[in-house]
Amino acid sequence: MTVLEADAVSATEEIVDLRRRLAEAQAAHADEVRRNEVFSRIAAAIGAHQSLGETVQAVIDGGVELIGAQFGAFFYNVIDDAGESYMLYGLAGAPPEAFADFPMPRKTAIFAPTFDGVGVVRSDDILADPRYGQNAPRRGMPDGHLPVRSYLAAPVTTVDDVVLGGLFFGHRETGKFDARAETLIIGLAAQAAVAIERSRAGEAGHRELTERRRTEERLKFALDSGRLGSWELDVGTRAYDASDICKSNYGRTADQDFGFDDLVATIHTSDRERMLAAMDEAIRTGGDYDIEYRVVIPSGETRWVHARGRAAVRDETPVIGGGVRRMAGVSLDVTERKRAEERQRLLLNELNHRVKNTLVTVQSMAAQTLRAAENLDAFREAFEARLIALSQTHNLLTEQNWESASLREIVDAELEAFAGRERLDFDYVRDLRLNPKATVAIGMAVHELATNAAKYGALSTPEGRVTVAWSIEPLEAPARLVLTWTERDGPRVTPPGRRGFGARLLEKGLAGELSGVVRLAYDQSGLVCAMTLPLAALEP
Amino acid sequence: MKTLAALKVLVVEDEALVSMLVEDMLGDLGCEVVGPAAEIEEALRLAGSAEIDAALLDVNLGGRPIFPVADALKARGVPFAFASGYGEAGLTEPHKGSAVLQKPFREADLRRVLEGLAAQVV
Repeated sequence: MTVLEADAVSATEEIVDLRRRLAEAQAAHADEVRRNEVFSRIAAAIGAHQSLGETVQAVIDGGVELIGAQFGAFFYNVIDDAGESYMLYGLAGAPPEAFADFPMPRKTAIFAPTFDGVGVVRSDDILADPRYGQNAPRRGMPDGHLPVRSYLAAPVTTVDDVVLGGLFFGHRETGKFDARAETLIIGLAAQAAVAIERSRAGEAGHRELTERRRTEERLKFALDSGRLGSWELDVGTRAYDASDICKSNYGRTADQDFGFDDLVATIHTSDRERMLAAMDEAIRTGGDYDIEYRVVIPSGETRWVHARGRAAVRDETPVIGGGVRRMAGVSLDVTERKRAEERQRLLLNELNHRVKNTLVTVQSMAAQTLRAAENLDAFREAFEARLIALSQTHNLLTEQNWESASLREIVDAELEAFAGRERLDFDYVRDLRLNPKATVAIGMAVHELATNAAKYGALSTPEGRVTVAWSIEPLEAPARLVLTWTERDGPRVTPPGRRGFGARLLEKGLAGELSGVVRLAYDQSGLVCAMTLPLAALEP
Repeated sequence: MKTLAALKVLVVEDEALVSMLVEDMLGDLGCEVVGPAAEIEEALRLAGSAEIDAALLDVNLGGRPIFPVADALKARGVPFAFASGYGEAGLTEPHKGSAVLQKPFREADLRRVLEGLAAQVV
């Protein structure tokens, strides 16, 4: 071989070598490009804000492609009641059913470094690994497990060293994963950790948003059902935002503007200063705002509103005076409650008035009875009878809500206690309803007349009779009731030596109280009591 | 300054039994009763023109407040006391601080209040 020939051979060999090296470089480059593509695909998947499941799947699929694995899986680190357990989260190269019949992996010797975040486990033949098959009861893969020989597992750990789970890759042939594959998977695991954390944070954020929306809906429902309006006030700008119900509490419709100035103008002039002072106080101290005030709504009607509020500081920016930037609160129309309270207050006052008046009445009856009584037994008998007579009128009034009682019922009730009621005749065209004051007065008058009749008059003998007659004389002004009590066929009547309690009550008391005239005539045939009382003083 | 004897007292009271009690008590104290008036028009008439030294006013006269009568007495310089089941709580703002006889009352209570009124009589 000549030098030239030798040179030619050498050149040829060099060319072949160059071509080989070029091919190798090209292959390596293609490999690199492919890996880069895989990485960018994973990065894109992570960046696409996909769900946690989709992100994990992109990571596993990418890993399988990167290192030429047959199987890939991600197991999640889950702490349950029994300690740590690992949950299959994603799988590549095999259907999920391939794992369905197996229990989740435990922290066996082979898995521990991964789940503890110690480091990567790479094995050319996992069956030959000294850590393999050490743990009871199975001592190795369960029957039917994917046929794994080459094994590569890397923990997925956050920057805070929290082990989220593990990435696992396998191949049915031995010696498939080299050091470069290990490096790639470490890189992938780091990406996976970021992706999973981000995805979790995103989902947590989404959950929080959904939860907040639900809470707001629930709050709105609660506010609406309770007719509670809600409002917010920007303390600095005095911008006031009121809900539809809040507006309606101030007599505005939903589409009407209702600003802070409108609010203040709607408040009753007598309550306005108090309201503004309360609000200033709450803003100054950051305390609660809680006030009831009257509002005069556009229709002119006065209503009551109960407003409550609280400082709602949204940012930490200090404010001059250390006060509150925003206030938020509720408003409630309490007009009905206020009216009920007012009614109750009036009723209570009225009740107190009645009780006190009744006590004075009883005091008076006792004093009068005592003045006329010859002895204690006589006092007791007369006093008790009068007390019961008073009580009868109260019974009638109570039945009618203390509004009125019928004249006929009054007479019947007062005569109930007396014998000889069958000797009582009535003469009237129509019954009449009397107001409470007249009921008590006429009831007591009838009692006194009946008592007198039973003691000295027509009801003291079997033959005596009494006629109670009444008529209304509308033609005379003022219209009046003429009520007469006429006794006959009783013992002969003579005027009493001195005027007793009954006569005084009738002629002076009753006449005065009911602005009428009462005359007692001691006819020989029997006592006649004629009462002429203006209807205006009697009617309910 | 007058003594209770022959003190002319206007009584305004719409319940017969109550005014009978007051009349008796005033009689026992030696006073002379003017009235009793059971309605506001009559009370106003007496308060404006009757010869009286003092007055005892039921706050609630058949559902109508007595205060116009009190005002008329005040204008005339006649001392008066309210008789009320509410005590002072039943009085309107301009009349708070006036003498009040809380119902029910004893004769001694009435005497004390009347002596207070009599002391104001010039």
